[in-house]
Amino acid sequence: MTEQAIISRRGIASSLWNWIKLIAKDPAGLLGLVIVTLFILWSIIQGSLELLASYLHHPSLAYILLPHNPYAFGPPLKPPSLTYLFGTNGNGQDILSRILYSIPYSAAYPAFLVVLSAILIGAALGISAGYLGGWWDEVLMRVTDAFLSIPAIVLAIVVAVLLKASFIGMIYSFIIVWWPIYARLFRAETLRVKAMDYVAAAQLYGVSPLRLFFRYLFINTIDPIIAYAMLDFGNVILAASILNFIGVGLQPGLPILGEMASDGLSGLPLAWWWAIFPSVTILIIALGFVLLGDRLQDIIGGRAAY
Amino acid sequence: MVGRDFVIFVIRRAINAVITLLLLIALMFIIVHIIYPTPLSLARLYAGPHPTYAQLLAIVKKYDLDAPLYVQFYNYLVGVFTGNLGFDPIYKEPVAQIIMYYLPITLTYIIPATVITVLLGTYLGAVAAANRNKWLDYLIRAFYVFTWSSPPFFIAILLQLIFAYDLGLLPATGYVNELLPAPKPITGVPLIDALIEHDYAFAYSYFIHMILPMMAVVIYSFGIYTRMARNTMLDVLESDYVRLAYAKGLSRRVVVYGSYGLRNALIPLVTLMVLTFALAWTGAYVAEDVFLYHGMGYLVTSAITQVDPIMVYDITFFVAISVIIANFIADILYGILDPRVRVT
Repeated sequence: MTEQAIISRRGIASSLWNWIKLIAKDPAGLLGLVIVTLFILWSIIQGSLELLASYLHHPSLAYILLPHNPYAFGPPLKPPSLTYLFGTNGNGQDILSRILYSIPYSAAYPAFLVVLSAILIGAALGISAGYLGGWWDEVLMRVTDAFLSIPAIVLAIVVAVLLKASFIGMIYSFIIVWWPIYARLFRAETLRVKAMDYVAAAQLYGVSPLRLFFRYLFINTIDPIIAYAMLDFGNVILAASILNFIGVGLQPGLPILGEMASDGLSGLPLAWWWAIFPSVTILIIALGFVLLGDRLQDIIGGRAAY
Repeated sequence: MVGRDFVIFVIRRAINAVITLLLLIALMFIIVHIIYPTPLSLARLYAGPHPTYAQLLAIVKKYDLDAPLYVQFYNYLVGVFTGNLGFDPIYKEPVAQIIMYYLPITLTYIIPATVITVLLGTYLGAVAAANRNKWLDYLIRAFYVFTWSSPPFFIAILLQLIFAYDLGLLPATGYVNELLPAPKPITGVPLIDALIEHDYAFAYSYFIHMILPMMAVVIYSFGIYTRMARNTMLDVLESDYVRLAYAKGLSRRVVVYGSYGLRNALIPLVTLMVLTFALAWTGAYVAEDVFLYHGMGYLVTSAITQVDPIMVYDITFFVAISVIIANFIADILYGILDPRVRVT
């Protein structure tokens, strides 16, 4: 705790550097940090290139960093070679280019949209339930019970199918099913923080409810939830890939990692590279978030010796 | 062991399970009615692809979709408890009947998969915790981090490539040899029916087709469970009574795997069994798609591609009921293992 206090007194840049040093003390944490950083950088670069390309009506702008045009047809089912590092699929499209092209859509957008929305909804509902208590708390807990009684992915599949199963429908369905766990976490943390003296002092001082919510409750409950959210980015990426794999949340003409793996099943015994490389990409991205989240949980939970 | 307080505890848990089920029905009812607010749009849910206007009107009439919401909710509740979930537009059969055909096929392998995961995960989690920060711990941790962060279809594809295509040990696809005649349905579970009728050729074929999907589900749900098992075990091993047991001079093996360590770690792990079972369902959806195994996952995938939302909706419902039942069983087990919870 003292270390965190020291960190927060310095500037943001140097406190970030301290966090990085703390994470990197463990090799697994360092690996996670490297993977996540590379993933975020690539998502920003490729994502903004894709946005720019569609804004300027200049599609080839989205491919300038890729080895091949991800949509162009070439020789089909070529094994990995120097020209096609990860081989080509049944249509003769370069798999490496398609993987790089699809990373923002299949991982970055779902992960960040879903986890951030879930944190916001969960904070609003969970903190209010924990702080106010009474019937509101009771109702909210029963609703989260109902949500958590089904596996989240199974529920997300049905909501996405009811929402016509487009890409944006999949994101909505994830937001609908993903918030209850955050509401639970925020509520539990609020119950802990509520008993602290500084909250009572703030109440006596007559702090406005909004300020109490943001400056006292939200800020003081967020730490363990950030560590959980880091793990959860990986969970959402995996969940989205599962939905895409079984055919939910696809957009015609948009390559997506889960769909590429599912298409690759048709070439399986011989053309193994078709299904394996997209799956391994998801594995690596999720692994980065799991390792980083584990390390953060160790630091915040005080398990790690630092 | 079975005293009066235990009976009360079981009844209370049963009531709790029913309440969760009712809440779930209400929740799904609300979600559907938010997404499909008008009777005609609701009719599309039951209509299959490309319905005509007259067909939609007929469906509205058939299911009373223009009735007030509370009447619809009442009808729906009655339908759920009498097993009447509507008529599937693609299979031309009642949905509940189709699901009851496929449900046992999936349960036949995900229930053993859950049991294997729990046994294996508990044991390996305890081993990892007892050898904390030694090479065995690192090995187990590396394995569970890998399985936790790999998408289930990757595990399934790897298993298929290695065991079916490369080594040729097990069949790659299908749920039974298609040439064998199916046993007459007695219990509805093909494997048990075949054993009852002494149809061992069918039972053997069924069993070897079951192994790969089961392994995929086990490996998929292994990661999270073992991680929790290791953390729980670490907490237990740091507690005072374990230190006392060491101080008394008991051997490490007795303390860790006996009634001090593992026995106390089991209690919180019982609740995790439900999570494992829920994960097994997700794994089954994907594994059945890879292995072309004709169970619930196959039913979901084909319903998605054929645009048959009512089927997906009702399957979800059955999955939820199975998870609620698993939760109830776990609660009872918890009560047996830890008598304190019976009182509260």
